[in-house]
Amino acid sequence: MPTKAWLVARRELLENIRTKAFWIGILVFPVILVLAVVIPALLENSKSARTYAVVDHSGWLLEAVSQRATAAELASGRGDDGDPATHRNFRRVEVEGEGEARLAELNRRVAAEELFAYFVLGEDPLHNGANNRYVSANLTDESLRNWFLGLASDAVQERRLAAEQIDPEIARWVQEPLIFETRKVGASGEEEDVQATDTIRQWAPVAFVYLLWISIFSISQMLLTNTIEEKSNRIIEVLLSSLSPVQLMAGKIAGIAAAGMIMIGSWIGFFFLAVKIIPKLLGLELGFDLGIIATDPIYLVSFVVYFLLGYLLFATLFVGIGSLCNSLKEAQNLQIPVTMVLMVPMFTMIPVAQDPNGTLAKVLSYIPPFTPFVMMNRAAGPPTSLEYVTTTLLLLLSVAVTLWATAKVFRVGILMTGKPPRLVEVAKWLRAPVGSVPQRRE
Amino acid sequence: MQFALTLEGVCKSFGTVRAVDNVSLAIPEGSIYGFLGQNGAGKTTTLRMVMSILYPDAGHIRVLGQDQPEAVKDRLGYLPEEKGLYKKMRLGELLTYFGRLKGMQAADAKRRSHELLHQLGLGEWIHQKCETLSKGMGQKVQVLGTLIHEPELVILDEPFSGLDPVNVETMRHLILDMKRQGRTVIFSTHIMEQAEQICDSIFLIHRGRKVLDGSLAEIKSRGDRGILIDYDGDGGLLHRLQGVERLNDSGKQAEIFLHPDTDAQAILAQLVGRLSIRRFDLREPSLHEIFVRCVGEAESAQGKPRAH
Repeated sequence: MPTKAWLVARRELLENIRTKAFWIGILVFPVILVLAVVIPALLENSKSARTYAVVDHSGWLLEAVSQRATAAELASGRGDDGDPATHRNFRRVEVEGEGEARLAELNRRVAAEELFAYFVLGEDPLHNGANNRYVSANLTDESLRNWFLGLASDAVQERRLAAEQIDPEIARWVQEPLIFETRKVGASGEEEDVQATDTIRQWAPVAFVYLLWISIFSISQMLLTNTIEEKSNRIIEVLLSSLSPVQLMAGKIAGIAAAGMIMIGSWIGFFFLAVKIIPKLLGLELGFDLGIIATDPIYLVSFVVYFLLGYLLFATLFVGIGSLCNSLKEAQNLQIPVTMVLMVPMFTMIPVAQDPNGTLAKVLSYIPPFTPFVMMNRAAGPPTSLEYVTTTLLLLLSVAVTLWATAKVFRVGILMTGKPPRLVEVAKWLRAPVGSVPQRRE
Repeated sequence: MQFALTLEGVCKSFGTVRAVDNVSLAIPEGSIYGFLGQNGAGKTTTLRMVMSILYPDAGHIRVLGQDQPEAVKDRLGYLPEEKGLYKKMRLGELLTYFGRLKGMQAADAKRRSHELLHQLGLGEWIHQKCETLSKGMGQKVQVLGTLIHEPELVILDEPFSGLDPVNVETMRHLILDMKRQGRTVIFSTHIMEQAEQICDSIFLIHRGRKVLDGSLAEIKSRGDRGILIDYDGDGGLLHRLQGVERLNDSGKQAEIFLHPDTDAQAILAQLVGRLSIRRFDLREPSLHEIFVRCVGEAESAQGKPRAH
C-alpha cells in the first residue's frame, strides 16, 4: 500500500520542517550570498578614517603628496571638505615637537592606537629613495601605506624627470607595458571576444558542486540520525507492526527528499530574486550577468537532477548504515568510508573545472558515487550528450542496486540490537532469502 | 469456538538456533491469553511472527480468520517489549499518526486519539511533546497507541515490565477493559503471579518448544494439590520436614507438595510450636509451581539441566 509510505513521508517532512537545522539550511544560502556582497561594502564604508602623521625631512615631498591627493580626490569627485591631506579613509594629523621627542610621542600614539601609522620621509628622496620609513602597529592593512607610497613615488618621479629634462610623455611611453588580449574559440569555431560571462560560466559549476555537496550531505545526514532515533528508542517495532520495512524505508527516503527539494528550491528561488529581480527593482547595474546561470538550463536542471540522484544514492546508503547502528557514535564510525568517498569530488573540484573534458574529469564521471558532482563540475565543458546518457544510466543502475541491497539489510538490521555487524555478515544478509534472520554471536 | 489466532507447526530459526520449534496453538476469541516463559524462550519471536514483523520458516499462522497475517495487520494492536515514542511529536499528533498508519481516516484518528487521552486523564497533554511525559505517562500513551484503531486482537509483549505498582494496576485495568470491550488479548510475561491474576488461558514455552497450553482453571485442577503456608521463623526447618516431595520457599510464604502417602495433618503437627504459622491452606498448585515442574520435565526429557 503506497499510502502508508506516503504517511511516513509526510511525517518525516513535517518533523524536519520543524527543526532548526532545516531553517538554518534554508537561510544559510541567501545569508551567505547577501553577506558576500554587503559585508565588504559595509566594511569599506564603516572603516573609521585612519589617522596618520608625517615627519618630512625633505621639506617638499609632503606638500607634493598633499597636492596630488587633493587632485585625485577632486577628480574622483569625493574629497570636498577642503582639507588638502584628506582621503575619504585617511586623515593626516599634525604632531607637535622636534627630533627624538617627537618620534617618541608618535610611537606612544601608535602604541596607544590613537594614530594608525606615521611616515618618516628622508632628506633627499630624489637621490636616496630608500631612506623612508613607515611605522605602524598594524602590518596587515597596507592600504594607507600603498596609497601614500603611490602618491609620493609619482611626485618624486616627476621631479626626477624634470631634473633630467625628460618629457613626461616620453617617460610614460618608455614604461608602457605590452598587452595580450584574451580571446576564445567559440562553439562556431570562430574566434570570439572573451566576456565576463565566460569566466562566470567557467567557475559557476564549482559553486554548484559546493551547494550540491552541502545539500546532499546534510540532507542524507538527517536521514541517518532519524533512522537511528527510531531504532534506538525502539519505536521501530511499533511502526513495523503497521507497515513493511520497505514501505518504511521508502517513506523515509521520500519524506527527506521532499525536505531537501524545498531547501534547494528556496535557494534557487532566492538566487533568481538576487540576480534577476532585486537589481531591477533597485535599478542596480551588476558588473556581470549572473542571469546567464539562471537562464541556461544546463546549470539549474543539472543541479536539480544531480541533487535527486546523488541524494538517492547516498541517502539509501545512510539509511542502511542507520539501520545497522544503535547509536550515532557507531554510525559515525561506519559512515567514515562513505564520507571519504564523498571527499574525492571536493579535492578534484578545481582540476576538473580547469579541464572539464580532460581525462580525470571523464574517468571520474563514470564512477557512480562521483557522477553527480563531477558531471555538475563539468557543466562548463560541457560533456557530450552520450556522456550525459551513459553516466546517468550508470548512476540510476547503482541507485537501484543500492536500494535493493539496503532494503535487504534494513529488514534485518532494523530489529537488531547489540554491536553493529561486520561487513562480512552484512554481505551474507544480501545473499540470504528475504525473511530469514541470521544468527548473531553477542 | 471461534479462534482469534491459530498456529500450526510454526518454526523459526536464527542461523542455527531454533528460536521457535514446531509450535501449535489455538487462542479463543475474547480471551486473555498469557504467553509464559523465561527470557529467551521464544515468546517475542512468536509474537513478532503473528505481527508479520518476522516470517516463520515453516508452519502456518492464521490470524482473525485470515491465512495471510499481513492482510489483517490493521486489525491488530501491538505493544513491543521495548517501548518508545517520537520525542519531538505532540501526544495528539503521535496517536493520530499511529491510527493513520493502521488505515484510519485522519479525522477519525484525531477524534479517537483525543477521546482516549481524555479517558485516561491525559487530556491536557494533547498538545505537549512526548519528551515532557513522565515514564508512567509515556507507557500509558504507548498502550493507547495500540488501541487507537480499535483492534480486535491486542498483543502486548511484557506489558508489565518496568512499571511501578500503581502503573501495574493501571495496566491490569486496561487489559481487563480490553476484554470487556470484546477484544482478544495476548500478553507475554515471565512473572507468573501476574499471569495467574488475569489470564483465562496460558501458553508455556521453553527453549522454543511448547510445554503446556490450555485454560488456567483446567491446568491448575490437573496439578497436584499442595499446602500453602504463611509463616514467621527459621525457614531452614521446612527443608527437614518428613514426607515432603517438593518445596517452594519464598521466606515468609512456602508451597509444600507431599508424597502421596503423607497426610497434611502430619506436616502441621511437625510445624506447630517450631514456626509461627499464620496460614495453612490445602489448595491447587500455583502457576509458579506448574511452571517450574513443567520446565523441569521438559529439560530432563531433553537431557538438559534443570532450570529455576
